[in-house]
Amino acid sequence: MRISRRALFFFVVAAVFLVMIPPTPPEYRWLNLVMAGISVFWAVLLWIEEASHRRGALDEPPGTVAPAESTEPPPS
Amino acid sequence: MTPVIVFIIGVALAFDFFNGFHDAANSIATVVSTRVLSPRQAVAWAAFFNFAAFLVFGTAVAATIAKDVVDPTVLTNKVIFAGLIGAIAWDVITWFLGLPTSSSHALVGGMAGAAVASAGWAALISSGLQKIAVFIVLSPLIGLVLGFTIMVSVYWIFHRRERVEGLNRGFRRMQLVSAAAFSLGHGANDAQKTMGIILAVLIANNIVPADSEVPLWVVLASHTAIGLGTLFGGWRIVHTMGSKITKITPVGGMSAELAAASTLFFTARAGIPVSTTHTITGAIVGVGTTQRLSAVRWGVASRVVWAWVLTIPGAFVVAYIIYLPLKGFG
Repeated sequence: MRISRRALFFFVVAAVFLVMIPPTPPEYRWLNLVMAGISVFWAVLLWIEEASHRRGALDEPPGTVAPAESTEPPPS
Repeated sequence: MTPVIVFIIGVALAFDFFNGFHDAANSIATVVSTRVLSPRQAVAWAAFFNFAAFLVFGTAVAATIAKDVVDPTVLTNKVIFAGLIGAIAWDVITWFLGLPTSSSHALVGGMAGAAVASAGWAALISSGLQKIAVFIVLSPLIGLVLGFTIMVSVYWIFHRRERVEGLNRGFRRMQLVSAAAFSLGHGANDAQKTMGIILAVLIANNIVPADSEVPLWVVLASHTAIGLGTLFGGWRIVHTMGSKITKITPVGGMSAELAAASTLFFTARAGIPVSTTHTITGAIVGVGTTQRLSAVRWGVASRVVWAWVLTIPGAFVVAYIIYLPLKGFG
C-alpha cells in the first residue's frame, strides 16, 4: 500500500523526535515521546484517510463519478 | 556602579530593544496578515503583552543565560560587551536581509564566541549549550505538531456549524487572545535573556552575589525595552512570516499562535531559551500542512531554516573577532 506524502511527513517528524531523545536532557525526554506519539497518531490517520479516498475512487464504476460542483456563486 | 557597567547594561537593553524590533514582529504577523488588527494596533497590542509577561512568568530563562551557557567566572565586562555587540551585529545583518533568525540564539552564539576568545573552549558549559541546541530542533517541531493538532481539532469541533461568517468573526476575536498569549510567551522568553546578561554583569562586578535572583529593576527595565522595541516594529520580517510561508486564515492564525504560545509557556517555565521565531514558523507550517503539503512554501521555509543554522556560528564568529582587539585593553 502506497503511503501518502503527508503521512510520510508526520512519520519523519516522529522519527526526528525519537532520534533527539539521547541528546535531550533526561527531565524533558517525556516531551519527545509525547510529541512522537502525537505525530505517529496523525500519520496513521492521514494514511488511513488518504487510502480510503483512493479506494473510494477506485470502487466507483467508470462513468458514475458526478462532475465536480461549481464553486462559482449562482447568477443573481 | 561604574560608567562601564552602566554602559554595558545600556547595550544589553539596546539589544533587548532590537530583539523586540527584530523578533516581536513574529507575534503580530498572523494577526496582521489575517487583517484582524491593523499593523499599528497589532504592534501596540503585542508591546503591552510583552511588558505584562513579567507578572506571569519567573526568571528561569534568565538564570540559564547567566549561569548555564558560559562559565560565570569567565564572564567579564569585556566578554559580555563583545558577546552583546556580536549578537546585535548578527541581528542587524539578518534584519537587513529580511531573514527571521533568532536574536536569542544570536545572543548565545555571541556570548560563547567572546568567552572562547577570552578563555578557550573550556569556558563553555556543554550541558547548557546542549539543552539550547536540542530545543533549536525541538521547538519548531513542537510548534508544528501542536499547530496541526489544534487546527484539526477546531475543524472537528466546528465542522457541522453552518454559519461560517459568524464563526469567522468568533475566530477573529479569539485571535486577539491567541496573539496576546503569544506576546506574553515572547516577552517571557526574550526579555529574560537580557535579564540574564544584566544579571551576569552584576555578578561579574560583585554588585549582587552569584546565587542572586534577578533584581526587580532589571526585570522591569528588560520588559520595558522589549516592549518599546516591539512598538517600533520590524515590518520586513512581519511580511516574511505572515504571508510568505503559507496563506493564513483567522482560524489558522489563532491555531498557530496558540500552538506557539503553549510551547513558549512550557520553555519559559522550564528555563529553556528558545526562539519565538522558530516556534511560530513551525506552528505556521503545521497549520499549512492541514490543507496539503504544497500549501507551505518550502523554499521560504528552508531559507528560514538556513538562517537558524547559521545564527549561532555567525554570531559566534562576529563576537570572537570583536573580542580580540578588546583583549589588549585594561
